[in-house]
Amino acid sequence: MEGKYVSDPEWASIQPIPLNDGSETGAMPMATIAYSDDYIEATSYLRAVMAANEISERALKLTEDIIFMNPAHYTVWIYRAKIVFALNKDLLEELEWLNGVSLKYLKNYQIWHHRQVLMSSQDHFPTLPPKEMDFLMEMFAQDSKNYHVWTYRHWLVRHFKLWDSPREIADINSLLNSDVRNNSAWNHRYMLRFGPRSDEPDGGMTNSNGPPSEKGRLAVVDEDVVDEELQYAQVQIVKAPENRSPWSYARGVLRAGGRPLSEWTGFAQKFVLDKREQGQLVDVEVKSSHAVEWLADVYAQDGAAQESTAAEAVRMLNLLKEKYDPIRRNYWDYRIQMILGQEVLASA
Amino acid sequence: MSEAVFTKERHIRYFLRCLKTFLPELYTSNDSNRILLAFFTVAGLDLLGVLQSKTTPEERQGYIEWIYHCQVPSGGFRGFTGTDFGTERRTRENEAWDPANVPSTFFALVILLILGDDLSRVKRTECLRWLPKMQRSDGSFGEVLGLGDQVEGGGDLRFCCFAAGTRYLLRGKSAAGLDGVQDIDVEKLVAFIESCQAYDGGMAEGPYCEAHSGHTYCAIGALIFLDRLSNGSKRVSLVSPGSQRYESLIRWLVSRQTAELGEEDDEDSDDADGPAGDDDVQTLTKAVDRLNLDESIDQLSDLPPPTKESLQWAGFNGRCNKYADTCYSFWNTATLDMLGKLPMVDAAGNRQYLLEKTQHLIGGFGKGVGEPPDLLHSYFGLVSLAFQGEQGLDSVDPALCATHRTTQHLHSLPWWQETLTD
Repeated sequence: MEGKYVSDPEWASIQPIPLNDGSETGAMPMATIAYSDDYIEATSYLRAVMAANEISERALKLTEDIIFMNPAHYTVWIYRAKIVFALNKDLLEELEWLNGVSLKYLKNYQIWHHRQVLMSSQDHFPTLPPKEMDFLMEMFAQDSKNYHVWTYRHWLVRHFKLWDSPREIADINSLLNSDVRNNSAWNHRYMLRFGPRSDEPDGGMTNSNGPPSEKGRLAVVDEDVVDEELQYAQVQIVKAPENRSPWSYARGVLRAGGRPLSEWTGFAQKFVLDKREQGQLVDVEVKSSHAVEWLADVYAQDGAAQESTAAEAVRMLNLLKEKYDPIRRNYWDYRIQMILGQEVLASA
Repeated sequence: MSEAVFTKERHIRYFLRCLKTFLPELYTSNDSNRILLAFFTVAGLDLLGVLQSKTTPEERQGYIEWIYHCQVPSGGFRGFTGTDFGTERRTRENEAWDPANVPSTFFALVILLILGDDLSRVKRTECLRWLPKMQRSDGSFGEVLGLGDQVEGGGDLRFCCFAAGTRYLLRGKSAAGLDGVQDIDVEKLVAFIESCQAYDGGMAEGPYCEAHSGHTYCAIGALIFLDRLSNGSKRVSLVSPGSQRYESLIRWLVSRQTAELGEEDDEDSDDADGPAGDDDVQTLTKAVDRLNLDESIDQLSDLPPPTKESLQWAGFNGRCNKYADTCYSFWNTATLDMLGKLPMVDAAGNRQYLLEKTQHLIGGFGKGVGEPPDLLHSYFGLVSLAFQGEQGLDSVDPALCATHRTTQHLHSLPWWQETLTD
């Protein structure tokens, strides 16, 4: 085989280690892949340098070659990071290189973990490098819901304490303006507004050490932020009433603020209008199924005490079940049964 | 409407082809996951009920040997043979480059069970000693152990689930014969899992990340493996019916079912990341500010109820406002099944979606409408159908992600069921 490594004098000192897939010792290899000759050769040199724990420029180049063929190789990334730090490479250059890999392989865990490993180096990055957020926005231009990029950005926020950085909320506003259904952006917004401001390595959710009923609630609530975010959610809902994201967001905001869902009863009612003729209910005009669901939840909570409110909850749930959301008819039925079950208990 | 047809024979041919012939070069980017790919092939054939009839005892023994060939000397399994530079060269200094991998270890063990092996050659104690080393101080698990016993890989729920699964498989009912083997910190793991619930009820990769069906499956799967869902077990609020956390989790899961399939003729199909929805036409050109909010709501038109026709095919997405995808039919229905809430989904819609939209002519399933089949989506498509009782498929244990026959085999192993009598 005349491969690029075997014919390269730079690699002459290395005895490649061929793949041992076990067939010589009676194993029948599974999930065999029709590897290219290039991949077979490059990986046999990778095994050799790894076995020798070699830290060198040529090994660094080799990792790049492997990564382009198999970016999910879980040890080659750790090996590359080890070499980059040991040879004291310019990490900004490494990031620049990584940008290209990221744009080529959009769905990959290892790439973003590698970035996190580099960025974790306090010596090299005591503060956020200036172009970092620009690059993330470039990634979002490719796929504004890329899970890996969002998870990484979340980590960046915590690492560099950027919750209140003007750039963060500006980017989120811009992403939501271009797609109000971007649930990833909504989630990030929640973390910026209500995430714990601690630098614990991976601190849990708000008040996660509190009793179960208190988890997810802020210990200290900034009522202005809560009001502002509720208002923001309302404006976004009006733009697209069937968009579930801001409705869920509002639930999270109310919960963080320790406020009840019923605070939005009036708002939700504007999307669910009873049409009456001579005092008789003849029809319901619905502008958002999520508003119906909201009202069902409010009435169900209050309905535990009052029978007429429970009936209203069931009416809302039936609207969803029969007309607006029949895909989930069994779920709405489950909710109806929960309310009826409560009534049975209450009257027993 | 004609009855959708499950093309069992074609699926058998697809999985056999994947098992017995080379996968195309395209799979090179999945080389490190060969154990997982191997799992899909044998688990698929087992689920189709033909593993025994379509493979010979010699072949099955050969597969078992290959899995053991993937076992690393210090316990656990590597994800593929590509990192193996030979036992004779292995030292304390270089073993970090050929490490055991947490998810691969779990799937290697399940493959052995599917193939009827009794796990007698598994380095059980070594593997169980390695697991706690993979746990971080926040309770989460990593993927592999790096240099200086550093935990490497993202700290997310996938690794938590497969670490808990490996512990479940190897400890047995009462950890018989494991005196002096330190266990993982179960309470810390459970606390980490609970902290990954997002404000909308679903579970995310880590605290405060976006809720995602794959991670939600991993969270509940881990709790099953840790015996936190059986009767009489210590239940955390996340899995306690009636609690706010539990009810919001169920709501989030059922909300994943969608008739938005991202088909070619869908509006905005060039926008690959999710549906635009009908109400976009209502987008008000002028900025909506708080002063005219009420007025703007008045101007909104009524919501047209969905038609029966439009709900005929109803798959699942993995996140809010995304299109349906075959694998999410699995992640969501499996999670609901573990929670005993599978009847809440529209089973007919899911079946129509899988059989008419992503089932492929040559067998297997694609990721989305009209896409070519791949092993992952093919297996998960089958399993989701199996949960719903599709004729020709065996029943599946949702946490083990393999047939109940596999679970029974595990439970029949003498060391597994051994209980401490004194």
